[in-house]
Amino acid sequence: MATPPRSGVPLAWPEQPGDLPRQFTSRDSLERELKQLFPQAEGGLSPIEGGRRRAEELLTRIQPQRYGKGRNFLDGPVTRLSPYIRHGVLTLAEVRDAVFRRTRERQSSEKLINELGWRDYWQRLWRQLGDGIWHDQEALKTGHASNSYASDLPDDIATGSTGLACMDGFIAELHSSGWLHNHARMWLASYLVHWRRLRWQVGARWFLQHLLDGDPASNNLSWQWVASSFSHKPYIFNRSNLERYSGGRFCSACCLRDRGCPFEASYEDLDSRLFQR
Amino acid sequence: MKHPILWIHGEALGPSNPALVAYPGRPAVFVFDTALLEGATPAQSLSLKRIGFLYECLLELPVTLRRGDVAEQVLAFAGAHGADGIVTSAATDPRFKAICRQLEPHLPLQVLEPEPFVVLEPEPNLGRFSRYWRQAERAVWAQWATAPGPR
Repeated sequence: MATPPRSGVPLAWPEQPGDLPRQFTSRDSLERELKQLFPQAEGGLSPIEGGRRRAEELLTRIQPQRYGKGRNFLDGPVTRLSPYIRHGVLTLAEVRDAVFRRTRERQSSEKLINELGWRDYWQRLWRQLGDGIWHDQEALKTGHASNSYASDLPDDIATGSTGLACMDGFIAELHSSGWLHNHARMWLASYLVHWRRLRWQVGARWFLQHLLDGDPASNNLSWQWVASSFSHKPYIFNRSNLERYSGGRFCSACCLRDRGCPFEASYEDLDSRLFQR
Repeated sequence: MKHPILWIHGEALGPSNPALVAYPGRPAVFVFDTALLEGATPAQSLSLKRIGFLYECLLELPVTLRRGDVAEQVLAFAGAHGADGIVTSAATDPRFKAICRQLEPHLPLQVLEPEPFVVLEPEPNLGRFSRYWRQAERAVWAQWATAPGPR
């Protein structure tokens, strides 16, 4: 299907040799030109479009109260503003004010404001830690030595062919759209670090390559939170948790739905299976 | 500064960028940082999705697009426009400071702060989110109390 032209806003100064193009006949032609300009970059464009216009559309749709209740569900009313906030297309202050304008009772918007607070918190930590965000903030609480975690992304992860419908689904979405629901990020990160015993930095790098909102501070420190180098205990989940918040959409189609699911256990059993404490 | 150019970077790709607000109409430049895109340690090379997203954001701003070494390109752009300084917006990425240090010996550099989410004094304890939020939540919601809009 043909897409409308992508034209840059006019500039009040003349172009110079070496300026990158700002006029494209369609989104497809933008993609073709970018592939030539940046040959080392993998893949194609995301279906998620950049730009202030799109960001403002999304901003008009935020529902703070529904967000507070349903944000943990994969099909819940999350804002999808993160790529725009990460790159300052919208400032955190603008989003805060948009939430305030929709707030009659403080309590109904508290969760959404709290999540904006997380973004502010990660940025403050980055200012304090600098490139230290790439190093363990604390010792792991898993009972495993740091050097017992693998340093290479396994092939079945890189290709999304683990045989687990949930994880392969998340990987496919990460690779095609560059956006994942926060809960999916947590499950995928936990699977990589705790079930596959992978260094969190490897997963963090992989996410930054693909996520449109990939911010080293939010990303790395959240991986550390999952890994337990920035939290009191490692984050794990089980099948009933994933099944509930994904509406069962993966489990019902999974080859391992009847036997062999590595997440089918109580938290106590998983804890003793995964950690040495 | 009477005739500055504006350096736009990837943390402020919107119309609220304080450099664009303070100097409307001045020539502005964004540089795709080749070293970063190709995988400057410790990050990995960026996928085309990420570059495309940035590119679409940039097409909606009055900004010239270049690629290469950021400081070199910004200084060349300043030279081409006979600029007497460079204006940009503050960024968190440590790479930003390193680039500023490369620019400063050549031209005056003004770094403008974007509107903060919340101003906290004294500096909050960042040991855990809960510590930070105990202090920040009150300050954020104090702004709601004074914000215009329906109640």
